[in-house]
Amino acid sequence: MNNSFVQTLRALVRLKPSQKLQRDYLTSLAIAVALAFLVGAGILLLCGHDPLKCYAALFKGALGTRRAFGNTVAKTITLCLCGLAMSVAAKAGMFNVGGEGQLFFGAMAAAVVGAHVKGVPGWVVTILALLAALAAGGLFALLPGWLKVRWKVDEVITTIMLNTAAIYFCTYLANGPLKTAEKGIASGTDSIMAEAAFTKLIPLSNLTTALFYAIATALIIWYLMSRSTIGFEMKLTGDNDRFARYGGIRADKLMLWSMVLSGMICGMVGMLEIFGLHKRFLTSVSNEFYFDGMLVAMIMRYNPFGVILMSFFFAILNIGGRAMEMSAGIPSELILIVQSIIIFFMAAEGGIRTALTNRAAIRKARREAAAKGAV
Amino acid sequence: MGDIFNVLLLQNTLRTATPVVLAALGCLMTQHVNITNIGIDGMMLIGAFFAVLGSYFFGSWAAGLALTILIGVVLGLFYYVFVIKFGSDEFIIGVALNIFAGGLTVFLLRTIFQVKGSFSDPAIVPLPTIRIPFLEGIPVLGALLSGNTLLVYVSWILVVVMWALVYKTPLGIHLRAAGEYPEALTACGRSPQKMKCLASVMCGILSCVAGAHLSLGYLTMFTENMSASRGYVAFACVIFGRGNPLIVFLAALLFGFIDALGLRLQKHIPSDLTAMAPYLVTVVMMVVVVLWERRKKRVALKRAA
Repeated sequence: MNNSFVQTLRALVRLKPSQKLQRDYLTSLAIAVALAFLVGAGILLLCGHDPLKCYAALFKGALGTRRAFGNTVAKTITLCLCGLAMSVAAKAGMFNVGGEGQLFFGAMAAAVVGAHVKGVPGWVVTILALLAALAAGGLFALLPGWLKVRWKVDEVITTIMLNTAAIYFCTYLANGPLKTAEKGIASGTDSIMAEAAFTKLIPLSNLTTALFYAIATALIIWYLMSRSTIGFEMKLTGDNDRFARYGGIRADKLMLWSMVLSGMICGMVGMLEIFGLHKRFLTSVSNEFYFDGMLVAMIMRYNPFGVILMSFFFAILNIGGRAMEMSAGIPSELILIVQSIIIFFMAAEGGIRTALTNRAAIRKARREAAAKGAV
Repeated sequence: MGDIFNVLLLQNTLRTATPVVLAALGCLMTQHVNITNIGIDGMMLIGAFFAVLGSYFFGSWAAGLALTILIGVVLGLFYYVFVIKFGSDEFIIGVALNIFAGGLTVFLLRTIFQVKGSFSDPAIVPLPTIRIPFLEGIPVLGALLSGNTLLVYVSWILVVVMWALVYKTPLGIHLRAAGEYPEALTACGRSPQKMKCLASVMCGILSCVAGAHLSLGYLTMFTENMSASRGYVAFACVIFGRGNPLIVFLAALLFGFIDALGLRLQKHIPSDLTAMAPYLVTVVMMVVVVLWERRKKRVALKRAA
């Protein structure tokens, strides 16, 4: 390893993201995770399982073999891209809850391009499909974004509604006009060009060259959010859009574009799933992946580095949970419960800490008063 | 056309609208105290599960309903403690609650009933249907007004009761003050916190009861994720009606009508497309209400000038 590379690495590590996660917050996070695992252990005990054995099975199932590790990393990619998509929009004050629908549209667009563009080399198809997915996701995010900026229509509700509509629409396409003639595929489109698909990095696992796309995207987002002027303007807009407007920032435009960018990332996630894993559009392309990523982003307060780390943790829980279901017969939904408990505690973290310090202060004051009274 | 537009369509409208009406009534309570509760969907799902659980194990619909109400109180208090006491982001808690509900109900479904997907059993006692003999004679109305399940009637009564409660009683004024101007409420010696607690518990109960109607009234089974975003639709109805129970009721009926119409059009149009309709209509509803308000404001400004 040469010297300059090490120096670059050091510089990267030293460059901290602009929004620091304070040490207190990380301590709370550790406590919340521990508490959530305790609650999970309680539930396991109630159901007559040995919690220690189950948790061991969970971690072994997620990290024990090369294949399992590959699956966990692949899951991390999905979660962290979804989380970054959420963060990009949330930084500018837009809550994009519609990533699931954007993901479906991106996947559908990529699958159509992948299956029907012929006579060109594989890598051209891959790039065309990526562009199609970006466009589909971005355009689908444009509608709620525009409604919000133009008429102040609450984007949370519209994006949630459009999610369901998009999923039904893609299901319709996969069952109707675009249904494959191949036998044995219940609801799916034609398969994509074989040379255009990603190659596997670890045999038998889900980890493919999609990893490099994800890393590139993550770096771009990180740079955009914490190193560029646009990122700073986005943060100002998200914190206080009236202030940003007085400062001469075109807040509306910024909000709209951050929403579109968020949709584009979601569309790309859909494309990565299709070209990496399914090789055709299937209605099972995503199982509320975006919602998991969104929660990761919320827990880490939209900090890009935090999102990546937390995604890895959630991916371990997710993949390990499935392995635990196979080996110990515990429904993997237990993991959803554990995850949401972590989120509950982290959302209430500030309030709980204030309540605890207040109580400690009152107790101390009382003790002092009692001591004085005794004298 | 006769096979699509008939009395049965209106009957289905009422049936599909009822859970949305109940959930929306709960949601408008929290909306009036200025809490944006999007966890209704999860509350509905949990309510639907425990209604089936209670009905199955105690062999009576009343027990199922009672258990649901109890769970509703617990969820409402939970929501109150996390959002108001600890001051957490209501949006995050709402989304997390929905995910928690999805995980909890499926986990319990698999551990208690040992089934995947859905649970139905002859031992589940559904809600009773109520027949009103003297109304049955009327041609169209008779079929609509009689023979519905218990909670349909409860929801109608509640719409009127809630309207009176919110706009005509001191409690309603306190409730709205807690949302609009909490300082004023404190000044007259009432606690805004208590009002918020009350609203959030009411919301919990009503959302869970809405779920009970799904699993014991509309169907007699529990299915994974059976609330199917109806909680969000209820929320949209409340925004549309600006918290007025009567308008909220009409909005929910509109949703029910579109939903029922979609189901009946399946013979002519693929079901995946018709299923989209209620959600798209909700988006349109949101846009319409915003444009409407803007126009009202502009007219008011013109008058002032």
